[in-house]
Amino acid sequence: MPSTDKALDEAAGIDTVDIEAALDPVEPDGVFRDSRECAGLALHSGGGHMLLSPPTPRPKKG
Amino acid sequence: MEQSSTSALLQGTVLDLASDVVSALRGGDHARAGGAPTTDGAGGNIARAAVRVLGADALLPTTLLRVPPDPGRLAVFREAVTAHPPRADAAPTVVWSHWAMTRALRRLDDPLPGAPAGDEGTEPGAGWLEDAGWQSLTHQLAVLAPLALPGEECAVSRVARSRPVDVARGFVRAVRRRDWQQAAGAGRWLTLLDGVPDTLGLETGLDFVRLMGGSDPRVALQLEAARLMPAGVLL
Repeated sequence: MPSTDKALDEAAGIDTVDIEAALDPVEPDGVFRDSRECAGLALHSGGGHMLLSPPTPRPKKG
Repeated sequence: MEQSSTSALLQGTVLDLASDVVSALRGGDHARAGGAPTTDGAGGNIARAAVRVLGADALLPTTLLRVPPDPGRLAVFREAVTAHPPRADAAPTVVWSHWAMTRALRRLDDPLPGAPAGDEGTEPGAGWLEDAGWQSLTHQLAVLAPLALPGEECAVSRVARSRPVDVARGFVRAVRRRDWQQAAGAGRWLTLLDGVPDTLGLETGLDFVRLMGGSDPRVALQLEAARLMPAGVLL
């Protein structure tokens, strides 16, 4: 397959930067759960030790 | 930002390699897991680079389960260590990853040429980790999860042992951020640490990480390692 061949040709000169970037990754931006999902997690835990609890409710502005 | 085809190919190869390791850890296809990858040409370069990225975990079935490594796979591992040493200004995780691979070879009594038998090599420093906040500590430990092995004695594992509550906090944070790879890596460390709060619910947490992120072979690898860890004995 031409595209694979091309990629392999490029890979012959694989960059140290690619390797080091994989070995020293920046922490990805987090996507925090909302309260409903957290409640679902609590149910998932089945009443044993609870891993997650919903975040503390905060007063709404206005 | 668009990924280069080389980078995408490398990442894909890392995932394939991680899948092989997971299979071996689950007691499945040992032959494939130990099978020799291509070592010639561009394919060989990619294979070596992928092994370098996966690090010492590429030999985890041998380390934890004493599955004899395929000579071809072991040769690629050695080539990866030799071909991709850390640069002088490399990040600590890059340096430690390389050290861990060298250590794995020594465990097999198969040190690199020129390294005297029994010489553990110069251990990198861990000052950057001792001073890290709990969030950064967990991120860095997850990246260095290949060092999370029963009986492993090095500066990184000593820092981890001294901060079980911080790692536990980082595990919960990773789950809440949906960073499954970090959560799995931190969970693997936690299975080895004393002083982890019972209220963490580590087992339930790891089950949840498996449910949500276990389709990623890199996550599955850490979870399998965590599952095997209590019974694991280093060679």
